[in-house]
Order: sequence, then C-alpha cells, then structure tokens
Amino acid sequence: MAALEWQLGTVTTIQPETPKTKSFYVALPKWAGHRPGQHIDLRLTAPDGYQTQRSYSIASPPELSGQLELTVDLIQDGEVSPYLHDVVMQGDQLELRGPVGGYFVWDVTVGGPLLLVGGGSGVVPLMAMLRHRAAQHSTIPARLLYSCRTPDDVIYRDELNQLAGSVAGLEVLITFTRQAPAGWTGYQRRIDAAMLNEVITPFGTSARTYVCGPTLLVESVANLLVGMGLPADRVHTERFGPTGS
Amino acid sequence: MARLISRGFLGRRRPPEVEKRLPPGQYLVTDFPVLSAGPTPHTPLDRWSFRIDGLVKSPVSWSWPEFQKLPTETVTVDISCVTKWTKLDTKWRGVTVDTLLKGVEVDPAGQYVMAFSDGGYTTNVPLNELINGQGFVAYEFDDKPLPPEHGGPARLVVPHLYFWKSAKWIRGLRFMDRNDPGFWESLGYHIHGDPWKEERYSGD
Amino acid sequence: MNVETADMNTELMVDGNAIAGELEQIFGHDMTMAVARCAGCAADSMMATLMAFVRGPGAVLRCPSCTSVIARIVETPTATYLDARGMLYLRMTHAS
Repeated sequence: MAALEWQLGTVTTIQPETPKTKSFYVALPKWAGHRPGQHIDLRLTAPDGYQTQRSYSIASPPELSGQLELTVDLIQDGEVSPYLHDVVMQGDQLELRGPVGGYFVWDVTVGGPLLLVGGGSGVVPLMAMLRHRAAQHSTIPARLLYSCRTPDDVIYRDELNQLAGSVAGLEVLITFTRQAPAGWTGYQRRIDAAMLNEVITPFGTSARTYVCGPTLLVESVANLLVGMGLPADRVHTERFGPTGS
Repeated sequence: MARLISRGFLGRRRPPEVEKRLPPGQYLVTDFPVLSAGPTPHTPLDRWSFRIDGLVKSPVSWSWPEFQKLPTETVTVDISCVTKWTKLDTKWRGVTVDTLLKGVEVDPAGQYVMAFSDGGYTTNVPLNELINGQGFVAYEFDDKPLPPEHGGPARLVVPHLYFWKSAKWIRGLRFMDRNDPGFWESLGYHIHGDPWKEERYSGD
Repeated sequence: MNVETADMNTELMVDGNAIAGELEQIFGHDMTMAVARCAGCAADSMMATLMAFVRGPGAVLRCPSCTSVIARIVETPTATYLDARGMLYLRMTHAS
C-alpha cells in the first residue's frame, strides 16, 4: 500500500459559483483517481515555515480525469479560504494529498434508490455523486434535497437544473431557509420531519442516504431518517463546521 | 515529499509593534478562536459546584451562588495557545486561587494540582504556579458572562502558561503529591508549558 | 444533542471523516469504515461517525452514543501519538 503522499497540483481554472463560493480546478499529474464523496487534504506553507491544513470534498466525478474540482466557501476570518478566494490565480501550485475517506462514498455499484441531503456547501460531495451517476448514464432513482439560505447561495444552480431536466430518474428539491426567489412554490423552511417524509416516500426505507452539511443539520436529518425506520447503516453522514472545514 | 512555499500565503502575522509581546513561534490574533476537546457540557448553574479536594485536610465545595459571593479580581492579560495564536489584552473577572485556598488546609505534600472539568478534561499545574495571583477561576470575559464555547460558566485562567492549562468548564482543583500529567500532557505535550520557553511538546 | 443550546463549539464539531487523511497516514489505509467499540458504553461506531474535535492541540474522537473519548491523536514535529484506550477494539473488515 502506497503511503499517502503530498503532491503538487496546478490550478487550471477558477470559476465563481455564488457570491461567496468558487470552484478550483486542479491538474494533478500523479492522481490515482477517486470515488464520489471522497476528499483531499490541502496544505499551505508560508515563507517562515508556518503551515496550515484543511480537508475539502472533491466536487468532480472520477470520470473527469487528470484534474479535480474543489468547491470552497469563503469563510470570513478564515485562514485558508480567503487565501484560495483572493490570492490564488490560474497557474498557481497547490499542495494536496488524497483521495481520503471511504465511508462517505457512493458510486453506481452501491445501488439505490439514492437520497442525497445537503446543506450549504455540503452539496459538494453529493454533486460528485450526481455527476458520476450522470456520466455513467445510470437510471438509479435519485433525489437531492438541498437546503440553502437564499437564492444567491445555491451552488451549481444551472448545472443542477440542467441535470434535473435531462437525466432520467433524478429530482432536485431545494428548500430556502431565509429567503426564496419571487414566485417560489417549493419548500421554504429548514428541513423537518414532514419534508423528509415527503422526499423519501417514493423510495421508502430502502433508500441509501447521504447527508452532508453543517453539524446541526446533519445531526437532525440523520436522527429523523433513523426515526423513520431507515437502518442506521444506510444513513451516511458527513459533518463540517462553519469553516467549510 | 513535495515541498512548496504557497505563493502569496503569508500565514499568520507578527506585527512589529507588538512583536515583543508575542512569545517565540506565536502569531497575533484579534478574534478568539474556539478550541475544545469535547462537547459543551451546559451544566445548569443550580447543579454546578466548585470543589477543592485531594491532599487537603477537608474538601471544600461552593455552589454557584456561593462562588459568586467570593471576592473577585479583574485582570487584563495576554494569552498564548500552543496552536500558535496569541491574543493580547484579554479582560477577565474571577476568583483567584489564593482566595479559594483561604481556609483550605493543604497537606504539605500536595504541591501539585490537577484541574478537572465537566466532560472529563484535566490539566496539571504546580501549586506554586497557581498562587500569588498567577491563577484564577474566571466567569466573566470582557465584562460579560463567559460564553459556553469559551469555557463558561467558569474556566481556569493561568495566563503565563499555554492556554490548554486554562481548563474550560472547570469544576475543581485536586491536590496531588506528584506532577501527574493531564489530558494533553499525557499525549506528547509538555508537562509545564511555558510559552516564553516554547515548552510545547514533551522533550522541548 | 439539543439544537436550541448549540454554541460555536458545537457548530465546530465535525466527524471522523475530517481526519481520514491523518488516520490513513497512521494506519496505511483508509480507516473511516473501521468499527470502534467504545470502552465506555460498548457501542460500535465506524470511525467516520465518531464525534471529532480537531481544532485543539490534537484531534479528539468521541463516541456518538456516550461522548466518551475513544481516541486521541497528537502530531508533534517529531512524532505522532495515538491513544486508543477508549476503545475495546477496532474491527477492520478484510478487503474483499
């Protein structure tokens, strides 16, 4: 087994996703591939030797070869995300290692039906799963329930619309917790038992569920799902703090 | 292993105007980072108590209202965390260990103290580094009740040592005849922890 | 967990997924699906689902059922420390 090694990647594209979220495409000559839901550790080193490290979910599917997409929320007073957002440019090098994690992973061999529940940038690893599902032309029934504060906070909005409209068996349901777009007829509240119940009904307790987001959202959704009778080993969770970890 | 200086990454700062106040290897912060080894205990104040036990003639304990009646001092001190941040001029109000020890008869062998907290956290400090105003149990920060994430209702503050010694959610002091290691001291961190001597890890 | 009393410390809590890299560095392969049996309450939890406090001097992993410390990891410039006294055992399924 090869040791987990730090390697250098080159930023090829930086793409704004929302007013406070950007995606970074990083080309990695030595990348051995990943599974949807895995993440990487990223390390920054200052000229005086000071180092800091964060873990970021991979947004791109394994089918995008040779590079990774990392989607990063800008955290005020953060240490790493302001550097990535405000300093890093195309052509810069980033030091990272991975892929890591095997628990919060879904691919088409796992099967479905697939219920994804994301809050904020918790949608990132779920997006890798949906992109992989689409790239594999999988017809496994899938639903994404995505909690956002406002319309400005919806990451991958156009791509989600496009996926929902073009890929068989996928439904995307967004709930806005602070402010919905004008004329919005969908959910406008925090995820609660009634909402989860509606979303999971077509799948029943056979759903494989992946829940990622802020700790409190994950905690509450996971408890509700288990309360609805889902076996705990089908409720996969990943919590991150407000640092976007 | 790949080696890289991240272009334009300056890390944290040691501004020249305050550099003399920053222990070696420390960087200035202006926010107040929240670091914990466990969940916030949220012990209701009517079930909170502060206890002094171990090598003392008779253990003592204060309820929250009793603790509030003890004389307090207000101090403004710099604090340094072993994770390399230093925060200047933090203002605390609390009860000094000297005040707590009035009327407590400590066994002469009890030269070491283990601070213990809700949630099981512990940290060791020699008695002679807690007395003479060096250590206190604080329940106000910046003129307001100490917030739970910073150790409220009450935390130990020993500003001349790395801040892991300043146990959050403290519930008492236990006198010992040996300098037994606490939570972090037992896993690679320095038994003493003086930031000016950069006593971060065991062996430093 | 009481959502009403959540404070910044609770919000900053993550889970074992967040230290998958550190664990793999120690064990040489992914550990997020290894099952730890808590020495405090005997509950079984995958490492990924342990409560993780990662911002302090080291990483502290706690049992999601009883909050006992299951493991602690400290990285110093010269060594890695792992304290696993809080688990009765760690079960690693053989790769198939």
